[in-house]
Amino acid sequence: MAKYIVVLLDEGRLKKLEGSGLEKKVEKLFGGALNAFNVELSDEDAQRILDEFATARVDSRGAITDVPVAFNRVVFEEIAKTKSLGSEVMQGVFARLAEIKEMAAKESEYLPPPDIEV
Amino acid sequence: MSIRIERPEPHGGRLIERVVTDSAAGKKLAKSAAAVFDIKPTVDEKGVPVRNVYREIMSVCYGFFSPVEGSMKEAELERVLKERRLLNEWIFPYPILFDVSEEDHKKLGVTSGDRLLLRLKGKPFAILDIEEIYRINPEEVATRTFGTPENNPEVVKEPFDKKHPGWVIYKSMNPVIYAGKYKIINEPKLIPPFDRFWYPPKKCREEFDRRGWRTVINHQTRNVPHVGHEHLMKNAAYTGDSEPCHGILVNAVIGVKRKGDYPDEAIVEGHEAVNLYGYIKPERHLVTILLWDMRYGNPLESLLHGIVRQNMGCTHHMFGRDHAAVGEYYDMYATQILWGKGVPSFGFDKPVNEVPYGLKIRPQNMAEFWYCPKCGEIAYSGNCNHKERQKFSGSFIRGMVSEGVFPPPVIFRPEVYKVAVKWWKVYGYPFVTPKYLMEREKELEVDLPDMDV
Ligand SMILES: [Zn+2]
Repeated sequence: MAKYIVVLLDEGRLKKLEGSGLEKKVEKLFGGALNAFNVELSDEDAQRILDEFATARVDSRGAITDVPVAFNRVVFEEIAKTKSLGSEVMQGVFARLAEIKEMAAKESEYLPPPDIEV
Repeated sequence: MSIRIERPEPHGGRLIERVVTDSAAGKKLAKSAAAVFDIKPTVDEKGVPVRNVYREIMSVCYGFFSPVEGSMKEAELERVLKERRLLNEWIFPYPILFDVSEEDHKKLGVTSGDRLLLRLKGKPFAILDIEEIYRINPEEVATRTFGTPENNPEVVKEPFDKKHPGWVIYKSMNPVIYAGKYKIINEPKLIPPFDRFWYPPKKCREEFDRRGWRTVINHQTRNVPHVGHEHLMKNAAYTGDSEPCHGILVNAVIGVKRKGDYPDEAIVEGHEAVNLYGYIKPERHLVTILLWDMRYGNPLESLLHGIVRQNMGCTHHMFGRDHAAVGEYYDMYATQILWGKGVPSFGFDKPVNEVPYGLKIRPQNMAEFWYCPKCGEIAYSGNCNHKERQKFSGSFIRGMVSEGVFPPPVIFRPEVYKVAVKWWKVYGYPFVTPKYLMEREKELEVDLPDMDV
């Protein structure tokens, strides 16, 4: 089964992609209520993610989940930078592994809450 | 033959009530104690709280665990582990024990026949009339409590170990057990937000009467409800007798939970938001709590849930797959096997409401809900035959929440999500962390009035 990463897109993220041509690759989930990219992974890249992050696992759909939030954030940043969903995204992500792990270490104690009225 | 379903009597025939509400009488009992003990949390090998026995004392004395009246004697512990029955024959899944260390036991110097005063947060709380003192091997009790693949092949798939939070609770207990009945002698006050969800069985049954609820289906929760949970509640509630169940009782388990579960405050207020914002009418929906450090024992936990909710007055109980489960220790349908045909190795050769001294509450075994774009709705797995199903995967939703992505209303109702964010802002984290558990352990869910003894 091909493995992939789901990158969720809220309004802020969609704005950063304007004009990239990636808009047409947006997948609609939950009846169009949720936008996302499915970033397909080579077997090597998928295995590397599972090896690098102890919590990571593959769910029943083939999506890699339970990775650090910082990892997901960097995947989006690399998509926005390369304007692509191809293998260069993961190349960029793996180049920033040290940075991701440093941020991930703090995630077990603190995650910034979204800035919304409650 | 009448098809009307009536409210079942409590498990064991009558509700246990062991709370002294008169403070002069409580004080007198406190003064008659031979020794005083300050309740301590049970901690794991890293010092993180995994259980506080005060929650069990509350659940026993307010009747949630009827007919259990206290900490079990050695013969009763043995029978529960072997046959899941109390000495009075009524079925019960778990050991309920008051444990102390050898060191504390030496300091206390009590023997059977003595009365022990238990203090909580520095104040008199309850008494334990010691009838027997014996020793356990905590690891052995832990393993026998949950079962093994060899002894319980019908439902146990993997040996239990230190990754299972319930096994860790029993494994972390002290070896000296004081058996005997509890009595609360200084009535605690639940603290906000838990106070408004506190419906002990007697009060809960009165509330059902007040609301005119004859048939009530229970929803077990340890979650902030997503829309899949909401649909489970709504659809399971169509069961009943000649009409759907009158009431939906949400009973949230409050106590130590595993990393990745939501904070207790968000769980109760999240469920409350479902009725406050009109997704289920408040007249039909009542959110309540049970104080219990969840053992995550899937079929065994479901048996406890059945007992508690029958005591609260429910006629029905919904069970999903992987009920109260963590990891792959049990078969994902273990709960439904227990209620559907029985688990002989646990002592039940028939469903647990068909064995002698069994339960009266009726199981409603539900499968799964998902979002189907083709059906254009949240669909039940027994109906929808489309491939495009989008499941409410817990890890997917946790990931979305952690990233701070505002979930669409088909996943979380916005008002419910905002409750989760409210408590995220309080604790700096959307889910349970060791830091949260340590902070909560200081406050617990109650305050106690002053009582000068
Ligand atoms: Zn469908």
